[in-house]
Formats: sequence, structure tokens, C-alpha cells
Amino acid sequence: MRGRRKGRVRGGVSWLPSGRFALGVALVCVPLVLALFGPLFAGEAGPRATSFTLGDGHWLGTDFVGRDVWRQVLFGGRPVVVVALAATTLAYLVALPVGLISALTHRTWLEEALMRPLDVLLAVPSLLMILLISSVFSPGAAGLALLVALVNIPDAARIVRAAAADVASRPAVEALRMQGESWWRIAVGHVGRSILRPLAADAGVRLTGVLYLVATAAFLGIGVAPDAADWAVMVDRNRTGLFVQPWAVVVPALLIVTLTMGCNLLFDALLSTGREVATERDVVRRGVGVRDRVKEPRR
Amino acid sequence: MSGLRSWAARRLLLGGAQTVAVVVLVFALTEALPGDAAVALAGDQPDPARIAAIREALDLDRPAYERLADWATGLLHADFGHSLTSGRPVSSYISDAFGPTLLLAGLTVALLVPVGVGLGVLAARFEGRFVDRLISSVTLGVYAVPEFAFGVLLVTVFALRLDWLPPTAVGYGTDLLGHPAALVLPVLVLLSRPVCSLSRLVRAGMIDALASPYVAQARRYGIPGARVRYAHALPNAMAPAAQQLARTVDWLLCGVIVVEALFVIPGLGTVLMNAVAERDVPVVQGLAVVFGVITVVLNLGADLITHRFAPRAEVAA
Repeated sequence: MRGRRKGRVRGGVSWLPSGRFALGVALVCVPLVLALFGPLFAGEAGPRATSFTLGDGHWLGTDFVGRDVWRQVLFGGRPVVVVALAATTLAYLVALPVGLISALTHRTWLEEALMRPLDVLLAVPSLLMILLISSVFSPGAAGLALLVALVNIPDAARIVRAAAADVASRPAVEALRMQGESWWRIAVGHVGRSILRPLAADAGVRLTGVLYLVATAAFLGIGVAPDAADWAVMVDRNRTGLFVQPWAVVVPALLIVTLTMGCNLLFDALLSTGREVATERDVVRRGVGVRDRVKEPRR
Repeated sequence: MSGLRSWAARRLLLGGAQTVAVVVLVFALTEALPGDAAVALAGDQPDPARIAAIREALDLDRPAYERLADWATGLLHADFGHSLTSGRPVSSYISDAFGPTLLLAGLTVALLVPVGVGLGVLAARFEGRFVDRLISSVTLGVYAVPEFAFGVLLVTVFALRLDWLPPTAVGYGTDLLGHPAALVLPVLVLLSRPVCSLSRLVRAGMIDALASPYVAQARRYGIPGARVRYAHALPNAMAPAAQQLARTVDWLLCGVIVVEALFVIPGLGTVLMNAVAERDVPVVQGLAVVFGVITVVLNLGADLITHRFAPRAEVAA
């Protein structure tokens, strides 16, 4: 990362960022197109055939209950992508106000009351938290999105708060305050707008982490029907026939791998352009990702 | 050193608070159900006898805070209660399944440090060259991939196509050490994510350290390059990585649950997944407390160690 910045200073742009960008796009586009538009191309469900067979009009064979694998693949991407997007959005819907308020308030007790409980939530491993709650409730797809959002809120709120506190200490905010601008205008109009870029960076990394968590939870059978058309569920359920009919497992697994891999490469390439102001700390954080929780120092 | 001591005291206090919070949170999430908890837990088999048995077993007639107090006192004596489905003590579940999980986690951590640090140092040494770009891109890509998808593909290649390794650990029971071939793929899958994050952190720290004035000074003294790299720069590059190592416990835990499900290894993760499927609340609680407390303690240890070696680094709890 440093090398690329040096390269920029010298005026030469190495092939790496664009290469990584191209690689990311190439990897992401197949699973993403399948996930978004797959259901449009899926025909009527044919009659069920024998489990785990190849050929006989089934391009990728049949799955554990004799359904056409290709049709399941066409349907199976949408839940993964939609739940991940919904969870990321939900996490920010809560994290943004919490982080903004705790960064801009002058009442210490309010800040403590908002941020301390999140510290505690951070101590519990995220998948464990999801498993705990799902052992009592049986969440559906919406429940899974809520749970994944919930475990992402603490970290997202910390990022929002750190970014907002940085902006709030600038002279511009001081000036706005002395002009008698309303709190709302300062918070949303100025601070909110100024933190958009670091938040966009964080959102990219977070989406990758959320994709990982959503797929893993679905593989473990959380928030999905046992015979759902979902790439992760397909990998889990068709494993028993791996030796007879590997395509029912390999194709969805490959799609998940290319989707997550491509996402991370793509976001990294996107974010590395226009990151001259990034500090080394940001670089370390961003480069490693959302689940690492490289902790920000308290201000 | 009083600053250090008071910092350590505050960090210990936070660790204690987090432990208490984990216990309360686990209890609250699993037992403070809205409505009748016994009916909710009976789930698919809501016959009155089963509901009564659950109510009896969990003492649901008593107020929640009394049950919490009892359960927490029991935890202090390593008494986790009894399973709802089998009636066996939860501690026997934990002690039976602890071996395989510890073996998996121990092997992973033992391999993680040399491989992660090695890759990071290698990439930093050839910064901007082909080796660095290769390592950086591959670690960035693999880092985001869920273990189960990666693992299934490895099984397809190495067990199905090449027939080098067994596809699962079925039939080996808890005696995994006697069958090292069955351990190769699980450990490889567990390593995939932590190695990527660790090597990226080491690379960033190493590049920083190699560009620092003290390394330049050491070079001017004519100290051999290898010694500058490994004796001067590497220790300073390790501080952020040491913290990361503790954070990977979180992932190892996620990874262990997935890997045990994937390779059918009878460890804590398998016990947890079975208990979740059967809504066996005492077992879920016991395992959650064990996992949660291990995470809190390891993070605490890592912060204390990092603070000891690099006091200038702000290690907020």
C-alpha cells in the first residue's frame, strides 16, 4: 500500500491498483449477475428427478431432493446478496445516529451511556452471538439480517464516532457553533457530510465481512429453510452426494468464493484511489478488514 | 511505572466487567424470553409434559434474577447445570469435546505465527515487486472467503480428485492425533483467514520499521541486512500483530464451529451446533460462557503484553 503511494508521488502509477480492480470486477461480475438477474432466466420447475444424478436434461445434474441444480443456482444468489445488503444498511441506520450523537454531545454521561454497552457487545464473538439468539428464536431471512446487523453495530458506531469526533474538533465546526447554527444543521449538514468518505471506505469493508457472516450462518442452517435455494445451503445439503455429483456443491461454493474474493479486491482497489490523506492506521485497518477490530484510541 | 500499573488496573477492571457482562448477556439472551419460555423452548414438540419438564428443569417458576444468581454461583464452581435432553451435566459435554477443539486451535495457532510472519516479512522485503504483489493480492482475496466454501473446494480437489487426504474425520472419534492425515485439511482451512490478516499487518509494520531512522542508522553502522531485519525491525513490526493474534481468537471460534461441522469433528463446535438445533439451553449457555470468557481473557492478555512491550501504543480496551 505504501508502495503504491510512493508510486503516485513519483508520478508513475503501477499496474497493481488497476490490475486488482480488473481482477475484482472480473471475479464479482459472474456471481453478482447470477444473483441479481438469475431468477429472471429460471424457467418453470420441472418434475423432480432422482437425487444426485448427472445428465438427463439437467445441465449441472440434480441435487439432494432431485431438483435441477442449475435452476437452484439461478435462485440461490439473491438471498445471500440481499440479506447482506440489508444487514449492512440496518447496521448503519443504528450506528450513524449513535456515533454522531456520542461524538457531538458535550454531556459525558450520554456518551458513556451510548458507547459503553457497545464495548461489552464487542467482547462476544459475532457468530456465537448469532448462534445464541437463534437457539431461542428461529429467525427467518429478515431475522438473520437483523442479527448480522446487530453484531456489526458496535464496530460501525465506533468508526462513525471516531470519524465524527475528528471533524467536530475542526475550527469550521467551532465557527458554525458561534454563528448560532442549530445542532441538527451542524451534525447532519456539516459533520455528516464530511465523514461520508471514511464511512464509504468502512461500508465496503463491512459489506465483505457481512457477506462472510451471512453465508456462514446460512451454511450452519440459521435463518434459512432446510431446502432453501441459497448457495450456502446448497453447499451444506448437497455435501452428502459430493462423491456422486460434485457439481451441486462445487458450483455454489465457487460462486461464493468468487463473490467474496472479488468484493474485497474491488473495494480495496476502489478505496486505494483518492486515499492520499489516509493515515497508516487507516491503511492497516482497511487492509485487514472489518472483523479485526483494530481498536481506535479513545479521545 | 505508576502510570503503567494504573493502566493495567483499569484494563483488568474492564476485563472483569466484560466477563460479568458476558455471563449476564448469555443468560439474558437465552432465558429472558418474552412470554412463556418453556413453550418457546419446546418448539416443535409442544406437548404439555415436555413443557412441564422444561419448566421444572429451568426453574422457570422463580424470578429471573434469582435464577441468574444461582446459575452464576454455579459457574464459579464449574457447575454449568444439566442438559435438557440427556440430563447429563453440561461440564461433561465440555470436557468430552474439549480435546479435539483444543488440538485444532493449538495446531492452527502454532502454524499461524511462523507462516503469517514469514509471508509478511517476505512481502515487506520485496516491497512493490512481484512477490509482494502476489502475496498481497492473494492474502487480500482469500481473507474474505468463508471457510466452508474454501473447505469444500479443498475437499473436492484433495480428497475427491487426487485422493490424497480423507474427506472428513468420520470414524476417528476424538483420537485425531492418531490420524494426522485427517487433520491436514481442517487446519489448512482454519489457517486461511488469520494467516492473511496477520501477514498483511506484519507487512505494513515491517515496511514502516524498515523505513525508520533507527534502521537507517543501524545500516550505516554496517550491521548485516538480515540482522537489521530480524533483530531490529521485526520486533517493532510485531506490536500491532500481537494484538491481532488475540483478535483472531474470535475468528478461530467461528472457524472451529464451521470446520467441525464441515469435517464432522466431535469438538465443542459440534456440541454447540447440536445443542442449538435441540434448543438445549443449559448446554448452549455453558458453551457460550466458556467461549466468551476465553475471548475476554485472551484479549486482556494480549493488551497487557502489548502495553508492556510498546507502552507508547495506545491500546484502548
